Amino acid sequence: MAETLALQRALAALVLDPEGAAFEEDPVGFARGQGLPEAHAEAFGRFPGGLAAYRELARLSLVDPIETMFPVTKALLEREGAWEGCIDAFLQTRCVGSRHYRDIAPAFLGWLAETEWGMATWPFLLELAHAELLEVLVARFPDGILPEGLQETPHPGDRLVLDPATQVVAYRHAVHRTSETDPVPEARPTHLLAYRDAEGRAQLMDLTPAAAALLVEAQGRSIREAAQALGLADLPLPLLEELRIRGAIAGFMPA
Amino acid sequence: MAQGRFAGQERFTGVGLGLRRPHLEAVAARADHGVPFWETCPENVIGDGGRPHRDACAILDRDPVLTHGLAISLGGFDPWDEDYLGDLGRFLVRTGTPWHSEHLCFTAVDGSWLHELLPMPFTREAARHAAARARDLQARLPVPLLLENITYYAELGAAEMDEADFIAEVLEGADVGWLLDVNNVYVNALNFGFDPKAWLSRMPLDRVAQLHIAGHKRFGTLTVDTHGADVIDPVIELMQWTLARLGRPVPVLLERDNHIPDLEDLLAERSRLQAAYDEVLAVPVGGGRG
Ligand SMILES: [Fe+2]
Repeated sequence: MAETLALQRALAALVLDPEGAAFEEDPVGFARGQGLPEAHAEAFGRFPGGLAAYRELARLSLVDPIETMFPVTKALLEREGAWEGCIDAFLQTRCVGSRHYRDIAPAFLGWLAETEWGMATWPFLLELAHAELLEVLVARFPDGILPEGLQETPHPGDRLVLDPATQVVAYRHAVHRTSETDPVPEARPTHLLAYRDAEGRAQLMDLTPAAAALLVEAQGRSIREAAQALGLADLPLPLLEELRIRGAIAGFMPA
Repeated sequence: MAQGRFAGQERFTGVGLGLRRPHLEAVAARADHGVPFWETCPENVIGDGGRPHRDACAILDRDPVLTHGLAISLGGFDPWDEDYLGDLGRFLVRTGTPWHSEHLCFTAVDGSWLHELLPMPFTREAARHAAARARDLQARLPVPLLLENITYYAELGAAEMDEADFIAEVLEGADVGWLLDVNNVYVNALNFGFDPKAWLSRMPLDRVAQLHIAGHKRFGTLTVDTHGADVIDPVIELMQWTLARLGRPVPVLLERDNHIPDLEDLLAERSRLQAAYDEVLAVPVGGGRG
């Protein structure tokens, strides 16, 4: 068991760690550096090309979903010559802790949030990456069980129940207006509603700050009380009904 | 031993296809696709949601399905995730699959997933470890376990045996079935310079319950199991040779994971392989399988 595990750890280090980049210059030295017994270390020298291929293949597997899910983040950091460094730093921390391939991109976002990598230079970076993943997460959010007794038409005394996939998000930058050719967002408070439409596609909607606050507040108390607490003069019942028809709101729960 | 070991296996014969995300909507919408069975990866379905997920579930509930795991890390050392094994068991029962396959490799180290099929050392210690893990996993699954031979691009550490002996030792030690990937044998034969038929002749073919077939690609001196191209004639010929040798209509699964063509093109590729399959092992519809 001990040697098998040591060999597996050495291959993981070859794939993920910075030292792995220099593997081909001295394969046996690399293996010795991993603490492998001499016979195993020498074997690394017999298959340098094949072992190096694992570094390339496994890194491709991990990076591919990130490049697909974060094209604007990638465009920004490539323009700044920082994309490869970002990916290297991410892989080195070994924070892909899920067997599900679909969790690789969220792991990258989680790593950005935890380490604040690059945030000193690009304070909007985390928001940008979050906005890129938002629609994907909404589109494939697991179907949940809705409470019974939901009504289709809102009344002032009702609480609202969002569809389980719906997210109300607030950013300090207009990150949803960026593109690969124009990846730097304007600094402007932004409120978005991300929801799944009847076809199952994710949709984004700009919200006013008041509407965003109401969508959050009126889940815990009645629409009337939420509106009062927020100082809203009118109850936006037509908007809420429209959001129910679009699929963002699951329904309205009478008191 | 493969005969009679797998309840419900008679529903699976001919050439099936891997169920892939770009085709879910089209396949869900038509039951007349002519594909005798699909293969699905539990990791891609369990815990997912949304429209493609609903399509996938509709297909799994309608059509015959085999299950094929990607990331259990059979040869690794990380403890099983009991919650996931519970979900997996329920999923296998729901699909009605007669068996569940995993790769004979490791995919995670110290809690970190590499999402790549990494080779086991060809040592007695590693063979014992993999066999023990397979037995342990088998005891936790509601259906028989198959292990699949992978492609490998290097021996990991100093080998004490060759790949064939390693695989045979694990299969025998774990007493599990074999998902024989003939493309992987072909690719390994190219990379390591051996004769695939001589290699197969040494193997415990009585354990084979299913075959895989796929395309591959050459990069410099290395041939890589890309699953991204049409199957070449020598691999089809190796499939036919293997089927003839087995003398049983084991199901063959065409894997296509990259450069995924339109469904129509993939169905045509499947038909081409089905014709090659029938050439060797024509199975009369509704009979002959006892
Ligand atoms: Fe395979």
